[in-house]
Amino acid sequence: MNAVEAILRALTVILCAIGAFYFFIGTVGMLRLPDFYSRTHAATKCDTVGAGSILLGLMLMQGFGAITLKLIALTALLLLSSPTAGHALARAAFRTGLKPWRSPEHTEGEDAT
Amino acid sequence: MKRALTVALLVVVAIPLLYAVAQLPQHGSPMTPPYTHISPRYLEKGPEEAGAENIVTDVILNYRGFDTNGEVTVIFTSLAAVCAVLLGSRKGDERPAGEPSSSAVPVSDVVSFVVRLLSPLIAIFAVYVMLFGHISPGGGFQSGAILAALVIVTTVIVGRKQAEALVPVRIRRLLQVAAPLTFFVVGVSGLFLFGDYLAYPKTEGQMWLATAWLIVIGIGIGVGGAAVLASIFWTMGDDS
Repeated sequence: MNAVEAILRALTVILCAIGAFYFFIGTVGMLRLPDFYSRTHAATKCDTVGAGSILLGLMLMQGFGAITLKLIALTALLLLSSPTAGHALARAAFRTGLKPWRSPEHTEGEDAT
Repeated sequence: MKRALTVALLVVVAIPLLYAVAQLPQHGSPMTPPYTHISPRYLEKGPEEAGAENIVTDVILNYRGFDTNGEVTVIFTSLAAVCAVLLGSRKGDERPAGEPSSSAVPVSDVVSFVVRLLSPLIAIFAVYVMLFGHISPGGGFQSGAILAALVIVTTVIVGRKQAEALVPVRIRRLLQVAAPLTFFVVGVSGLFLFGDYLAYPKTEGQMWLATAWLIVIGIGIGVGGAAVLASIFWTMGDDS
């Protein structure tokens, strides 16, 4: 293994670790965040940053070739579809009247429902 | 009295079932038939016997064709059940028909753009999965799901009227029943040509014929499955 390969391998490991970290954060956010909007926000991070950086890492590992082309197509699909899905969800929820969550101190002065 | 009869009937049914379950080989035991000769046979002889390099396709469409035939019939029956329940319950409904519910949200430009951008690619992918199910992972069921997703996402963007116009009413029934129908046609032609229901061509060196049959069934399952899923979606949309 020469130096370039070693560096690429190291970058792959780092990118995959970042991806795994974002998946973890997204999952925790899914479970722990208070309302629909913030959960949607957390969930879309998994697909864009998480899966995105894992795929990028895999591309570095593969080098040029048919598999890398497939990975690029897959990344493009992910980066297009996941934010769109998040946008559609949040938009539909907002337009149909779901109120975003506010912290309790914030709502104390107002008419709490 | 009625309750006692029910209990008695349940016991009578349960005893043979429990007996049969007790006779089953231990789960995961390497001595069971699937491990001793069935799986190795599929893996070793599948491609040359059944006509597809993808062994999953070999198993579901050839070795276990009967099973899949029943399966597509179940899928079609589920559509019939959904229609029966939803259309039947609507009779007593007093709401005026055809008015969209007030909570409907106008279509987002972002979603609309992305769907328009991706739908040709989704369509190509569905056809690819359908036609190459004998070589690569995929097949009729998967492509049916992809096609149905395409139809559903298109319905969301362009509205139901325009989306439904893509599938004319006259052939819609035919498409919905496409999967069982294809199986029936292929099965019966197997009966006449090769002597058994769902028999495949077995001539040496003419494997492409069996492969062609697999592809035909794959197309039938794909189109039929997509039509069923889309119809269920549309029927449920009637309710809003």
